[in-house]
Amino acid sequence: MKNSLLMKAFSLLVIASFALAACGGAPATQAPATEAPAVSGDDTQAEVSLRWRTRPDNQEEINVYSQISQELDVELEGITLTYEPGGTEGSNYQDQLRAEVAAGTAPDVFWIPGTDIADFATRGLILNLADIAADDADFNVADFYEGPMFHMTYNPETKTSGAGSGALWGLPRDVSTFALYLNLDLIAEAGAPDPRELAANGEWDWDAFLDVAQKTRALGSDIYGYGASAWWGPYGVWLNAAGGGFFNADRTACALDTAESLAGLTFQRSLYQEYDVATPYGEDPEPPFRAGKVAMFQNGRWATPGIRTVEFEWDVVELPNGPQGTPGNWLFWGAYVVNAKTEHPEEAWALVRALTTAETQGKISALGANIPSRVSQEALDAFLTFTPPANNQAFLNGIAPEAKPTAEGPLWAGSWPEFDKIMGPAIQGVLTGATTVEQFGATICDEANKAFP
Amino acid sequence: MLCEEVKMSVSSTQDNRTELILRILFIWRLLFALMAVGGVIAIWAGGFGPGALWQKMLITTLLSMASIFSAIGAVQIRRRAHAGRMISLALDYLAFFVSAVLVLDRGGAFIGIDSLGENFGRGIPDLGIVLAGYFLSILDDYLPLPKQTAESSLKRAGRWVALAGFILFLWHVNAVNGILNFFGRLFENGILAALGVVMFSAAIWGMWRQPTAQALHAKTGHEQILNGWLFLSPNLLGFLVFFAGPLVLSFYFSFTDSDAFNTPKWIGFENYAKLLNIRFATLSSPDQLAREVVDIKVYDEVGRFTIGDTGILFAAADKFFWLALRNTLTFVLFAVPLSVIPALILSNILNSKLPGMKFFRAVYFMPSIAAVVGIALVWQWLYNATIGYINYFITVGIEFWNNLFNAGVVDPKIQWVSNEQTALFAVIIIAAWQTMGFNTVLFLAGLQNIPGELYEAATVDGAGAWDKFWGITLPMLAPTTFYVVSTTTIQAMQVFEQVFILMNPPEGPNNSTLTLVLYLYRNGFQNFKQGYASAIAWILFIVIFGLTLIQFQRQRRSSVYES
Repeated sequence: MKNSLLMKAFSLLVIASFALAACGGAPATQAPATEAPAVSGDDTQAEVSLRWRTRPDNQEEINVYSQISQELDVELEGITLTYEPGGTEGSNYQDQLRAEVAAGTAPDVFWIPGTDIADFATRGLILNLADIAADDADFNVADFYEGPMFHMTYNPETKTSGAGSGALWGLPRDVSTFALYLNLDLIAEAGAPDPRELAANGEWDWDAFLDVAQKTRALGSDIYGYGASAWWGPYGVWLNAAGGGFFNADRTACALDTAESLAGLTFQRSLYQEYDVATPYGEDPEPPFRAGKVAMFQNGRWATPGIRTVEFEWDVVELPNGPQGTPGNWLFWGAYVVNAKTEHPEEAWALVRALTTAETQGKISALGANIPSRVSQEALDAFLTFTPPANNQAFLNGIAPEAKPTAEGPLWAGSWPEFDKIMGPAIQGVLTGATTVEQFGATICDEANKAFP
Repeated sequence: MLCEEVKMSVSSTQDNRTELILRILFIWRLLFALMAVGGVIAIWAGGFGPGALWQKMLITTLLSMASIFSAIGAVQIRRRAHAGRMISLALDYLAFFVSAVLVLDRGGAFIGIDSLGENFGRGIPDLGIVLAGYFLSILDDYLPLPKQTAESSLKRAGRWVALAGFILFLWHVNAVNGILNFFGRLFENGILAALGVVMFSAAIWGMWRQPTAQALHAKTGHEQILNGWLFLSPNLLGFLVFFAGPLVLSFYFSFTDSDAFNTPKWIGFENYAKLLNIRFATLSSPDQLAREVVDIKVYDEVGRFTIGDTGILFAAADKFFWLALRNTLTFVLFAVPLSVIPALILSNILNSKLPGMKFFRAVYFMPSIAAVVGIALVWQWLYNATIGYINYFITVGIEFWNNLFNAGVVDPKIQWVSNEQTALFAVIIIAAWQTMGFNTVLFLAGLQNIPGELYEAATVDGAGAWDKFWGITLPMLAPTTFYVVSTTTIQAMQVFEQVFILMNPPEGPNNSTLTLVLYLYRNGFQNFKQGYASAIAWILFIVIFGLTLIQFQRQRRSSVYES
């Protein structure tokens, strides 16, 4: 009887300790215990707790973001920060975030890709920070790349963009762009010209690219000249470089069936079908590239940390120029935004500002995966020192104004997920040879325009 | 005499106390009924509660039922009928459960899972000390020491060690901070819920106690019923809250435009109408464009059937749903036989008395217990068209064959996951491989239930191995086969994880691996169309239900074993 009572008491204590451990708050490592409460004038301000999240690509990034969070925690008076790395193997970052937004448990500040901005903004899930930013004397829209800021300041009501539009949905965390990762050993073995030299001489165009791809492909049946992943980024550049694109000029309708877009797609299809120089479309090209079987691998800056572990000689080169004289590259970006349900919008804005300073961005960029989103020579100079690759300039050339990169952007007039759902499989059909470019052009916009209600 | 007087006096005091408790409980039931009515009025007057219509309706229904039952309970208590006790206990127990959940919610216990993970982890070593203390306290049972001495010293020492360990544990799990946080939050906005816990606990205690039960003419059967429900209640509540509730809710959502963020708007059958809106149109030539025969603003081409120089176009308002349905049914058509027939053969082999069979049983079962994500990632590497092992071995095999026989066999270099002709098949192979082991175990269990005498009699009659398999094993395994086929079909209809992890993008080349659950997931959790996703879920349910019904009917017709 006594033992039974003891066991019951013990069981209850264990159960209670579970609940209490859950209520015990974040571990002490998240916030320095020595920090004194912030004092403003004679009044002692109450400490504000903010949770923030961004998608890390690897454990090193998680460590850096955690470190940054702790440093900002000290720096931002009256704000206690908790950093939450989002996403797991089975539950990806965006799905998890959306579920939490729906449940009302999303962090105060979080990162989302540029293409999601419109969806989040029009549903009222993120704050329009224009009024708060207007009171911030140190803030200037022009401090960041123009492309991302065009979309970040887009006001869907007035259909205007820019500093005075009355809209500001957040600030870009970083930018990125495509380059071609080169297996220099394969290129040398094939006797093909060095793409870096061709680029330096202004001779790096589609013909030169195809020449290198064909020469390296000739090295063996298991060696490929070119490899790219199967999503909108890699195939989009060929359309852009030919003068086409996904949307019309004001992004209100499909433009995949224009002659320019189809010309870009025709060239890309030839890489897979006619010349057979590319790794099969839909297969992940990174493993074969890392295994030394692909000469030119198209990917963004985010692939650099992984590529640094390969054992062959490698470097990067900008994408080749298309018929329009530009490479048609993307300016990828994602942004820190503020949860519409945050109880502390002012503090959240202060955090967004702190997360996008040149200093903070420099710490992230040093890992090699990102390019600072601030237009600052200091930041760019620092970026060039983060080697390998030796030719970091290739990434900066990709985002330089003269290269006319297309900023990844949300669809304010339509639904990007719906558009992508229709476009992706259709393009895949073309590149795998299941359908012709003509068949694609004849029907694609009939379907894709339904993404614009 | 004095003793009897004392007994009578005690009994009389108890009766008076029970009578008082019953009166209080009667008033409590009336109060409960009134409070429930008050809750309904407050919800519709906008005083408190949810804003969405469905939430208002749901809570109104629940509160109204609670109010009616509470009033009935009051009447029954007044009549001293046991039904009053049953009703009271049921209502107070449910109300106690709701209050306890609210207390935990207001105290922040549910949103502290991360803290729980990290805090509790730090206290785990201290639980080791508690365990050591326990072992110390029971050590005297195993030591040949003078019992009295050993018991007093070791047991006491053990208890102190366990207590010290537990105190350390509470310290390390941040329990003090937890208590302060919990009660701080509760004090801010959870007072009512905490009061509810206390009041409903008191009401349950008052009604549960033996004298009250006797006063309400409780019988042994009543006690057994109550105990039965009490033991069943955790599972039942879990079922209602986490299964039945969401099920009903998803049915409601399927008639709304719910996006998970805003108040859903009732749109009737619009979601179902869009999903099932299809058109067939005759084509004047096999390559005639869809826009020439159907309204392209509404319909998209799903497929076309060519008949000579003409053809028939199949178009749908949501072509992806129909593609997903086609892929899912194709998947079922291949994955079910491929995971059932080899399992049947394998189980017959593993059922033999050959050496090492137990080892092989474990080996074949392993894929069933391995994590799907890990399996899919491993297969992703195996399937890689350029550096994957499967293609590597095919190439080596073909080269060997060509060298040996001077044949000119061409290496197919199969693009397992990037070709629309093979992508779904690649998923089928994984699913069959993974499910086969579990099905084998089920068949093995079925095989071991077949009486050995049947085989002995067949052997005496001169039956061969095949005759025995066909004439005894298969018919006797019919119930197992039915179970295996039904569950594998249901599982196959819900295929998701393998596709989601293996394919990039999950829809596969030209939507060839888009399945119903994947499409549901895309709509509900990525495109914010929860109402539409709910409609897909209910159509999927109907399809699965239909298939299972057909299997049941076929089982009844061909049930050799049972007849």
